Amino acid sequence: MNTGGYSRALRANLLAGFLLTIIILLIVRMFYMQTFQHKAYLEVSEENRIRVVPEIAVRGRVFDRNGKLLIDNRPSYVVAAVPNEITNLDALSDKLSDLIGVPEERIRKKIRNSRFRRYEPVRLKRDAPFDVVCRIEEASDHYPGIVLQLDQSRNYPEHGSAAHLLGYLSEITEKELEKLRGKGFRSGSLMGRKGIERSYDHYLRGVDGTKYLEVTAEGKIVGQLNERAPIAPTPGFDLTLTIDDDLQLLGEALLGDSLSGAIVAMNPNTGGILAFVSQPSFDANLFTGPLSTEDWNRLSTDQRHPLLNRCIQATYPPGSIYKLIVAGAALESGTVTTETRFLACTGGYRYGNRVFRCHKLSGHGVLTLVDAIAASCDVYFYQLGRKLGLEKFAEYSRACGFGKQLGIDLNDEAAGLVPDVDYYNKRFGDGKWPKSLILNLSIGQGELLVTPLQMVSFFSALGNGGTMFRPHVLKGMKTAEGEISMDAEVIRKLPFSPENISILQRAAFEVVNGKHGTAHRAQVKGTIVAGKTGTAQNPHGNEHAWFCAYAPADNPKIAIACIVENAGHGGSVAAPIVAKMIEQYLRSIGIIQDIPQPVAPAKGIVNANP
Amino acid sequence: MQILRGNISKSAMLLFAAALFLTLVGILIIQSAMFAAPSQFEQNYFKRQMIWAVVAILLFMVVVAVPMRFYEVFAYVLFGLVVVLLLGLLMKGGGKAARWFNFGFFHLQVAEMAKIAVVFVLARYLTYSRRPPNSVRRFATVLILVAIPMLMVLKQPDLGTSLVFIAVLLTVFYWSGLPVMYLLFLITPAVSLIASSHWLSWLIFFVLVLALLQMIKPGTLFSIVTITVNLLSGMIMPFVWNRLQDYQKMRILVFLDPGRDPLGAGYQIIQSKVAIGSGGLWGKGYMAGTQTNLAFIPERHTDFVFSVIGEEFGFWGGLLVLLAFAGIILLGIRIAFKCRNKFSSLVVIGGVTILAFQLVVNVGMALGLMPVTGLPLPFVSYGGSSLLMSWMILGLMVNAELNWQEY
Repeated sequence: MNTGGYSRALRANLLAGFLLTIIILLIVRMFYMQTFQHKAYLEVSEENRIRVVPEIAVRGRVFDRNGKLLIDNRPSYVVAAVPNEITNLDALSDKLSDLIGVPEERIRKKIRNSRFRRYEPVRLKRDAPFDVVCRIEEASDHYPGIVLQLDQSRNYPEHGSAAHLLGYLSEITEKELEKLRGKGFRSGSLMGRKGIERSYDHYLRGVDGTKYLEVTAEGKIVGQLNERAPIAPTPGFDLTLTIDDDLQLLGEALLGDSLSGAIVAMNPNTGGILAFVSQPSFDANLFTGPLSTEDWNRLSTDQRHPLLNRCIQATYPPGSIYKLIVAGAALESGTVTTETRFLACTGGYRYGNRVFRCHKLSGHGVLTLVDAIAASCDVYFYQLGRKLGLEKFAEYSRACGFGKQLGIDLNDEAAGLVPDVDYYNKRFGDGKWPKSLILNLSIGQGELLVTPLQMVSFFSALGNGGTMFRPHVLKGMKTAEGEISMDAEVIRKLPFSPENISILQRAAFEVVNGKHGTAHRAQVKGTIVAGKTGTAQNPHGNEHAWFCAYAPADNPKIAIACIVENAGHGGSVAAPIVAKMIEQYLRSIGIIQDIPQPVAPAKGIVNANP
Repeated sequence: MQILRGNISKSAMLLFAAALFLTLVGILIIQSAMFAAPSQFEQNYFKRQMIWAVVAILLFMVVVAVPMRFYEVFAYVLFGLVVVLLLGLLMKGGGKAARWFNFGFFHLQVAEMAKIAVVFVLARYLTYSRRPPNSVRRFATVLILVAIPMLMVLKQPDLGTSLVFIAVLLTVFYWSGLPVMYLLFLITPAVSLIASSHWLSWLIFFVLVLALLQMIKPGTLFSIVTITVNLLSGMIMPFVWNRLQDYQKMRILVFLDPGRDPLGAGYQIIQSKVAIGSGGLWGKGYMAGTQTNLAFIPERHTDFVFSVIGEEFGFWGGLLVLLAFAGIILLGIRIAFKCRNKFSSLVVIGGVTILAFQLVVNVGMALGLMPVTGLPLPFVSYGGSSLLMSWMILGLMVNAELNWQEY
């Protein structure tokens, strides 16, 4: 045989050497994979076969202060599809789309995405309506591959009651999941949104349990994994709120569906919120299943902003109510005494070349401080404000809790705005702003912005003698170890001496009960109410009506701030609402006895000086 | 007729033992791979494989008993028969994927037969050319002989098997004494195909080819043909790429980057690597491979049978299997070396090439070193045709070994 220059033996050896080298390469590669990379591959193979199935913990329930159930869990159904059993995906998604309200394309995409786990149900619609569940159940032949899975959903109060306070749940977003993966969250986890569902999500959620199943490549379950014991879920804590649901419902009814506004009621001795009304509201039950685009558009584009939590997120000018704070600041700083009198009110006050009007065009005449508050005389406060100055105004406003968050146990609390020299310097340039700004601020208008929560906190502190508690909605929770109660936490003392506080209290008493008072409609039989009206100018429409009060005046059990948007004068719209709520609440805690009492003469009450 | 006289050499015994070992491992692995399969039919694959093993060993004995002269005489007849059968498959499938004739109890994979037929016909042709096939005419004849069945198999489409033909062609050329330089030129068109993915790499490659031609001066005609073929293959690269089936393109792309489609084509490679890697040194135990039993490994009784070995028997199990193959291959080369009959020698080298190529491609694929081509592991993978072909090659090796002194 011609060997072409290479001997036959050399050719044989070369060929053998070549093939042997390749086989050795294979062996080395195999060895490397099975020793150095063994651990990593073993992990993947375990991940492959072990399906970690979460057992969702039962979410904690929520009660009001009297043990009335506010948020409950109810059994619900998830419409899911088993890809392996679907014969005609297009026909199925076509039929299903309208029924469950999920776009066809999304159904198809979800099912196609799980083509390698053909036995694993793909969740298509959470909390399907009962009639849909029935139709699928009855005509299961028409929906091959569709199964119904038992699930739990939240049951919120009807008619959107307390929706802003309670909040709602929705599925975790991809962005959130990136941050929270591996911390007990997974795709499809429900997250608390808004209200206590959000702020106490951690406690309500509990700890999900885990079942370890062995599955085939196609997702078929072989059985429970023997090597790893399942972990039982730990249920979430039941929460008790400081809310009095009867009072809450009354507030909602009084404000009604047609009015926009907010009512916050507080226990002045603890800071516990008794009612948290923000109207218009929304039905949190809409969010329990995935919210339809239609519903979302309706809610988010509504001119009345039903999703806005007006109690803590909305800021308003406080109007005349702020005269109490301005008066306190003036007294405390020694700017005025109770006997200080200014130029007579003639219905207006000339400052520079501008006339600042009083709400009473005929004028109040010469007034003392208390009378000026009771009659809400603007001219008196223009002059008082000039004397007080912007620095002192801002300093005392802050010390009373305005211009910053109070730290309520809910998210998205607004800070409001207390303008000061720095603020105006920034806005208009150093010193280039008119000194007349203080005039508007003194009567609670201008750039000053407050939240209803700040108002009720101030009135609580005023009523109890000067102690401001941290506003809170959580009264206690039932943990595995037992009940925990929230303690009242003092966050500040009003920057006023006891004498000055009693002067302000007297003024508030006069507002409701005095001869010149602007809020006679806030009087309640059987108790004494003290408060202050306000009318907040609104550049976008009619003025907002404010009324804030506490009662009983000598030992307050409740303080309420109420704002009704675009409703005009506070005394006529907001005051009666507050009065009715005070009456019902004091009746419910026994301060006003249910036994019909002889009608006390109005004069008697006025004389009962607190 | 040495075997009838009871004069069996040590090499023949070793060959038989190694092949029997591999066949038994195959049966065991097929049982383990399929016992959890959904259908009774699939669960019984290992029983069918046992029957085929018996048939294959009987065939082996026949192949050993029949004189080499017989194969030499009937090489062209067998080749013709295979070409006719392949043609029949093409007509039957209408140009589409038809790989077998269904005989009810048996699917005849013609491509397996074609491999042996090509070995016979190459050996026969080269036996009677006194000099190496370095004239253009003989070179072309050989190419055409291989190209006919190869293109028909490629059309089925079975890329893996058609590559076997090229491997056989190169090795047989090499063995018959073709200078290594010529072999280099033989593979230049393929290199050209790959290099042409970028004009710069192709330019460098082409300059190298011209330099080589200048160095060895193989003759004008040869040079012209080489240059033409290289130019053409470089130009048709995009055309070939477009002609590839989508799944073939995907396999090549996924081989280069398995993460490209972890749930699709890359899935097979990833799962196979996971199976082998998770087996560790000692394996998870017979019938205890989770990747296997829970169906994560695709085609685990055929193409990915080595993944099951790696998972259940670990490194040591895989090593034993590879050593058995190494033994068969080295013994085969020794037989081919000492054979005095040129036809026998070439046949043995051709057979060894088929086994070695399929081994390397199949195991390389399971280890993630090669793209998914779908070649069975000889002796081990499920399938009658593959098993018969493997044992037939073994029969030819033993036949040559027992009669090595004959001219």
